[in-house]
Amino acid sequence: MLPIVSLTVFLPLVGALLIMMLRKAPRPVVHAIGIITSGLTLLGALWMWSRGVNETGFAQIEQMDWMPAIGAAYRVGVDGISLPLVLLSALLFFLTFIYSAKVRERPHAFVVLLLLLETAAIGVFTALDAILFYVFFEVSLVSMYFMIAGWGHEDRQRAALMFFIYTLLGSLPLLLAILGMYLGSDPNTFDMRVWIDNPPLSGTAAMLALVAMLFTFAVKTPVFPFHTWLPAAHVQAPTAGSVILAGVMLKFGTYGLIRFALQMTPEAFRDAGIVILTFGVIAALYGAFAALAQSDLKRLIAYTSVNHMGYIVVGVAIAALALDPAIRATALDGSVLQMVSHGLVTGALFFLVGMLQDRAKTREMDQFGGLLKVVPILGWSFVLAAFASLGLPGLAHFPAEFQIFLATLQVEPVAIIVILGIVITAGLYLRAIGKIFLGEPREQWTGMSDLNTREVLTLGPLLILIIVVGIAPAWVLDVIHKTTAALQF
Amino acid sequence: MNPVAIAILAPLSAAVLILILRRVPAALALLGAAVGLLASIRLLANSFNGISSELILPGLPDMPLLLLASPLTALLSSLVAVIGSLVLIYAVGYMKQDSEKVRFFATMLLFISAMQTLVLAGDWILLLAAWELIGLSSYLLIGFWYRRPGVKSAATRAFLYTRSADLGLYIAVFILIADAGSSNIAATLKTGGQAAVAAGLLLLVAAMGKSAQTPLHDWLQRAMAGPTPVSALLHSATLVAAGAILLIRTSPMLPAETLLVIGIVGGITAVVTGLIALSERDLKRLLAASTSSQYGLMLVAVGAGVPLAALLHLVAHAAIKSSLFLGAGVFQHSRETTALADLEGAGRDRPGIFLGFALAALALAGIPPLSGFFSKDAIIAASLASPHAPVLASFALAGTVLTGAYMARALYILWHGERQERNVPGTNSALRWMGAGMAGLVTLAVVLGAAFPSIEPLLHASLSENVLAQILGLSAALAGLALGWFIPGARLLGPLLPWAQHGFAIAGGFDNWMVRPAFAIAHACERVERALYAAVLGVGQLGLNLGRAVRRSDDQGIDGLIFSLVRGTIKLGSRARALQSGLIHREMAITVVSTAVIFVTLLFALLIY
Repeated sequence: MLPIVSLTVFLPLVGALLIMMLRKAPRPVVHAIGIITSGLTLLGALWMWSRGVNETGFAQIEQMDWMPAIGAAYRVGVDGISLPLVLLSALLFFLTFIYSAKVRERPHAFVVLLLLLETAAIGVFTALDAILFYVFFEVSLVSMYFMIAGWGHEDRQRAALMFFIYTLLGSLPLLLAILGMYLGSDPNTFDMRVWIDNPPLSGTAAMLALVAMLFTFAVKTPVFPFHTWLPAAHVQAPTAGSVILAGVMLKFGTYGLIRFALQMTPEAFRDAGIVILTFGVIAALYGAFAALAQSDLKRLIAYTSVNHMGYIVVGVAIAALALDPAIRATALDGSVLQMVSHGLVTGALFFLVGMLQDRAKTREMDQFGGLLKVVPILGWSFVLAAFASLGLPGLAHFPAEFQIFLATLQVEPVAIIVILGIVITAGLYLRAIGKIFLGEPREQWTGMSDLNTREVLTLGPLLILIIVVGIAPAWVLDVIHKTTAALQF
Repeated sequence: MNPVAIAILAPLSAAVLILILRRVPAALALLGAAVGLLASIRLLANSFNGISSELILPGLPDMPLLLLASPLTALLSSLVAVIGSLVLIYAVGYMKQDSEKVRFFATMLLFISAMQTLVLAGDWILLLAAWELIGLSSYLLIGFWYRRPGVKSAATRAFLYTRSADLGLYIAVFILIADAGSSNIAATLKTGGQAAVAAGLLLLVAAMGKSAQTPLHDWLQRAMAGPTPVSALLHSATLVAAGAILLIRTSPMLPAETLLVIGIVGGITAVVTGLIALSERDLKRLLAASTSSQYGLMLVAVGAGVPLAALLHLVAHAAIKSSLFLGAGVFQHSRETTALADLEGAGRDRPGIFLGFALAALALAGIPPLSGFFSKDAIIAASLASPHAPVLASFALAGTVLTGAYMARALYILWHGERQERNVPGTNSALRWMGAGMAGLVTLAVVLGAAFPSIEPLLHASLSENVLAQILGLSAALAGLALGWFIPGARLLGPLLPWAQHGFAIAGGFDNWMVRPAFAIAHACERVERALYAAVLGVGQLGLNLGRAVRRSDDQGIDGLIFSLVRGTIKLGSRARALQSGLIHREMAITVVSTAVIFVTLLFALLIY
C-alpha cells in the first residue's frame, strides 16, 4: 500500500528541493512548482481524509526505524483530532501559493521557505514520535522567521526577532518535558502512542512536565500574557505569512495542548484545570477587548485570533474537568472544530486584508470608507468572513463555539462569562465594516479595482467552506467525534 | 418533498436564484414567496386535520436539528408567509426606482426564510441559529441604503442591541439542554425548579432585545433608516415578533415568578413606549414606538398566563402594523418625508390610502369589529383574571388608552392640513402595486378577528368570555382616541415631553451603559498591551547588555580563574565580532541562541545526573 501520509508530508519538501536545483528557473515556473506541489499535497490530504480514522487510537500508521538505540523512530499517523488539521493545512497552503503567485521579490527563496513550512506543518500534525514532532515544530519556526524577516513590511526585523525569541525560548520547555517523559517511560521510548496509552509520569514530575508544556503551547497559541509577539508578527508579516501563521501555526499550540498536555499528563491537567480555564477565559476576553481598541485592520484581526484561540483553551480545560464522557466529547469536538473554523475564517480575513493593502497601501480603518460600492466582491467577502468570525450561525465558528460554551456551562457555570466575547467581536467587526465599507466612498479610492481571478480563486474555496462547515458541520464533526468519544483519560 | 422544507427553501432558493441570475428580481421574489406561502398553508391545513409533520436533519453529535410543524408553528409560519408575500407585492412598487433591486429582494427573501426557520424550529440549536440569522438579515436591510448618513449607525445599533440581549438566549439554551439532556424544544419544556426560573428570565432578556422592550427599545425607532417595506416586515411578523414568539412557545415551562416579571416588563414597555409615540415628530418613528408598546401588551398577556391572547394579538398586530407602515410609505412617496410636520394633510392627497391607514389605526386602538378589538379584549380579560390583576390590568388598560391616543394623533395630523398634489414620474404603476399589497393587509387587519374562534380549538386552548373586560377595553380605547384627537400630544405629555422625546433614556442609555465601558476596557487593554510589549523589548535589551558586558570582561582577560573557558570565549567572541553587523536584531538573535544552547546543555546535564 502507498505510504500516503509520508508522501503528503514530504511532497512539499521534494518540491522545495526541485526549486533549489532549478536556480535559474523563471518566476512563473517557480510559482507553478509551488502551486502544483501543494495541489498534490492537498490531494494526498484528501486521500487521507477518504481513508478516515479508527474508532480508537491512530489510523494510517507508517513507521520506520530511525534511532533504535534511544527508542526514537519515524512514526506518522492520524486520528480524528489531527486529520482535520492536516486537511486544513494542505488547503490553506495551496491557496496561499495561488495568492502568492504575485510575489516578485526573490521568488525562489519564498517558495522554498513556504514549501518547507508546509512539510513542517503537516509533519507536526502527523508525527507520532516526540523527537520527530519537535523537529517539525522547530523547522516551522525557522521558516516563519525568515519569511517575516525577508518579505515583511516596514518594521519586520524587530517583529521577526520578537517572534523568534518568544517561540524559541517557548519551545525549550517542551523539549525538557519530552525528555522527562522519555526517561519516565519504561522501556524508554519516544513513541507518543505509548505515552498516551500509559502516561509515563505521575505526581510532581507530571505536574512539572505539564507546566513546561503549557508554557510552550501558551506562547504558541497564544494565551495572554504570552501573546505579545502575535500582533507584532502579524502586522509585519507578508500576507502569505499571516495566513499560515494564524491559520496553521497557531494550531500547533492548541493541538499540542490536547495531544501532549491533555493526553500525556491527564491527571496533572485535571488538577490544573481551573488555572488553565482561567487563562483561557482571560485570553478570550482580553483578545476581544484589545481588538476593539485597534485602528489597524490587520492588528484587529490578529487580536481576534487571541480571542478565538482562547475559546479553544477554555474547551480543552473544560474537557479535562468534565467527569461525564459525553460532555468531555462535546467540549473537545467544539475545540477541534474551532481550530478548523478559525483556520478557514481567519485565513480568509488575512487574505482580504492583504488584498485591501495591495490596493490601498494602508490598513488604517479610518482612511477608508464606502468601499462596498467601489469593490463589491471584496466588500461582501469581507462582510461574510467578518460575520463568520463574530460567530454567526450558519457560518463556521458557530457550531464550534456553541459546543464549547454548552460544555462550559455544564462543567463550570461561572466560566460562561467568556461568552461576552461574542458581543465584543460583533461590535468590533460591525465597527470595522462601517468604517471601511459603508458610507459615501472617498474620492481617493474610487479607482480601486475589484478582486481579480487569482484572488477570487484564493478566497472562493474558503468562503464556500465557511458556509458548508457552518450549515453542515457533521462531515467534519463525525471524524472528530469518532476519536473524542473514545478518549479515555 | 416535505412542505416544512419547502416553506423555508422556496424563499431561500429564490434568493439564491436572484443573486445568480441578477435579473427579474421582483418576479422571482414573488414566485419564491408564493411557493413558500402554499407550503405554509398546506401545513396549516394539515394541522386543522390533526396531522403534524417534522423533518430531522443532521446537526451536532447527539443533537440533531429538527423542523416541526405543530398547530402553533404552522399558524405562525402561515402568518409569516402571508404578511411576507403581501409586503413583497407592495415592495415591487416601492422599489421601482431603486437601482439595487437584486440586493433588496434577495435580502428580503433571506429574511423571510430565516423567520420561517425560526417559527418552524423544533430544537434549540436551529431556533438559536434562525434567531441570529434574522438579526443578520435585518442588519443588511436596515443598512440597505448604506451610503446615506445615519444608516450605518442605525444598522449597527440594531444588531448590537439584539446581539447583547441574545446572550440571554444562548445561556438559557445551554441551561435547558444541560437540564433535559436533549436539544429538542418539547423535551426541554418539562424543565422545572431553579433551572426553569433562570432559563425563563434569560429568555425574557433575549425577547426584550428582539421585541424592543424597555429599556432596550431604542434601536427599533432608529431602525427606520431602512426602506419602508423592511419596516413593515420587521415590525409585524418577523424580527420583532421573534421575542414574543419565544415566550409564547416556552410559556408552558415558565414558573409563576418569571411570568410576573415578564408581565411587569411588558406593562412598563407598553406605557413608556406609548408615551414616546405621543411625543414623536416622525410618523415612522411613531409607528415604531407603537410596535414596542403593542409587544409590551403581548408580554402582559404571557405574564398573565394566557399565551393564546398574546398570540392572537401578535397575529392581529402583524396585519395591522404592516398596513400602517405601508400606508406611511405611500405618504412618504408623495411628500418625500416622514416628518409629521410635513405630512399635515397628506391623507387628503390619497384618500384611499388614508382610509386603509385609518381602518388599521382603529383596529390597533381596539374598535369593534376590527381584529384588534378581539385580541386586545383577550389581553385585558387575561390580565383581569390573573392573580396579579391590579398590576397587569392597569398596565393593559393604560396601554390601550395610549394606543388610542397616539393613533388618533397620527390620524388627526394626516387629515388636517393643506392637500398637496405632486406628480412624481412613473409612480402610477408603482402605486398600483403598493395599493394592492396594502389592500390585502388592511383586509386582514379588518377581518382577522372572525378567524380567532377557529384558532382556539386548533391550539386546544380557549379564552374566557369577560363582559367587564370588553366594557373596560372599549371605553379605554374610545377615551384614548378622543384624547389623541382633541388634545395635541405635546400638551398631553406635559412635563414628560422632553424626556419622552429622548426615548426615556436613563443616563444616556445604551451608549453610556454599554458602549463607553466597553471602549474604556478596550483602551485599558491596549495600555497593558503597550506595557507588555515594552517589557519584552526591555528584557531583550537587558540580555543584550549582559552579553556585551560578559564579552568585554572576556576580551580583557580579567577572568583568570577559569582561564580555559575564557580562551574559548575569546575565540567565540572574535567569531561574534565577525558576525557583528551593527544591526541590533542580529546581535540579539545571537545572544538568544547562545543563551538557549547553554540552557539546553544545563538541562541535559541535570537530567543525566
